[in-house]
Amino acid sequence: MAVTVQIERLCQRFGRTTVIEDLDLEIGMGVFGLLGPNGAGKTTLLRTLATVIAPAGGRLRLLGLDPGDPEQRRELRRRLGYLPQAMGYYPNFTVFEFVEYIALLKEMPAREIRRAVARAIERVGLGDRAKAKLKTLSGGQLRRVGIAQAIVNDPELLLLDEPTAGLDPEQRVEFRALLREIGGRGTVIVSTHLVEDVGAACTEVGLLHRGRLVFRGTPEELAALGEGTGAGDTPLERGYSAVLAGARAGARA
Amino acid sequence: MTDHLDDVAHLSTCDVCRRRAAEGLDVNLDAVWIGVAAEAWTKPAGRVERVARRLLRSPGLARALVTTPSLVPSWILASVAVLAIGALATESTGTPWVPLLAPALAGAAIAYAYGPGVDPAFELSRSLPISDRMVLLVRVLAVFGLNALLALAASLATPEIRGLSLGWLIPMTTISALGLAVATLARSANAGVAAALTGWALVVLGGAASTHRLAAAVTEVTLLPMYLAGTIGLALLALHASSGHRMERRTWQ
Repeated sequence: MAVTVQIERLCQRFGRTTVIEDLDLEIGMGVFGLLGPNGAGKTTLLRTLATVIAPAGGRLRLLGLDPGDPEQRRELRRRLGYLPQAMGYYPNFTVFEFVEYIALLKEMPAREIRRAVARAIERVGLGDRAKAKLKTLSGGQLRRVGIAQAIVNDPELLLLDEPTAGLDPEQRVEFRALLREIGGRGTVIVSTHLVEDVGAACTEVGLLHRGRLVFRGTPEELAALGEGTGAGDTPLERGYSAVLAGARAGARA
Repeated sequence: MTDHLDDVAHLSTCDVCRRRAAEGLDVNLDAVWIGVAAEAWTKPAGRVERVARRLLRSPGLARALVTTPSLVPSWILASVAVLAIGALATESTGTPWVPLLAPALAGAAIAYAYGPGVDPAFELSRSLPISDRMVLLVRVLAVFGLNALLALAASLATPEIRGLSLGWLIPMTTISALGLAVATLARSANAGVAAALTGWALVVLGGAASTHRLAAAVTEVTLLPMYLAGTIGLALLALHASSGHRMERRTWQ
């Protein structure tokens, strides 16, 4: 498996708070689910991989490029897609205008932009709202606009922070299919609280706890860890809570 | 039935064969629809954006420029109205209101040009190839240039202040730098506006108190070194405040 995301001893601190500590992780093609409780460092990790923030320590190599180098960072940014947890938007832009704006800032070739934008909008099922102003959309529709801007450049590395928040069950099913499709051609890292999303769409899963990776494996392996021990309604939830309980017990010891 | 599908002349006159030929065509309807949708949903770039594209040689930067909050028509009209009222007040009172208003207007407009407190997509923009500093630079230059042009036009249209020439230009630069520095430091456009307006009011009132002339702030040559030093210091401060590291520390503190 070709490694597209290489993280070595990554640290992130904000003031005196350590958010990510000595994280080592290698990810290849496919859909990688990031699980963890609030404050585990998922959003910080995604923001770091999206080159929004520089690491406080450690080394990153994404798509074979070093984000620390300005030229390589620029090239990397052309090839990645990012959906922030709280995506701001311009209320008076139409769906098409907003996705087109981001495509322009991604420095996509001008002749490709219109079709790429239309395709991204259709892929998230917003074709009938393409000319609607963003201020008229529901929360779920805005989330889909966010996904459209993230995939408009057919990214090789797609980073999604809580992408299914606000989507209804039917849209979530469609979105998982989209994730699987993109994961077949590139790397998708998706942070989520929804364990069932991981089971349905992810080829691998990592569980963060207090900035440390406490589990990495397939959804089936995570589910197996919860047999007869963890609390939860589904095998994955039981696996999740069992791993977390173990990590907390280890931290106390 | 005889097959005439290769006979173009026959196909042009025979509905049956034409239908049979169409059935055999391998048409990707999705691709056709994307092409149609792309044309139907696209709004052509305006004249200003087209000129900006040619000047900046970057469609992304050009779009970022025309989306500047303080360059929208309503803001420009408000600036024109304030300067027009200033020109009328100058004619009727003899006090040079246009040079006194121009720096305050520019400072407020620059504070509202770009930044986390103004740009809804600021977080997203920091993961894109066109750097946020480049967007900031282009917008600040455009906003300053436009405000300088408006003030110049108002000055030329007011015979009473033609003698002041461009006495307002240097203080305008200083107050713009103040608005930008405070807006980026505080991550708030309102804070930048407040600082620009307060700072300029203090300079004007201070000059008036010491010389008993309200226009001293734009006529006293002795103030020039202070303006120049202030501009350089504040511009450096704005540069520091807009650096990624500094921005991030502010986010988490």
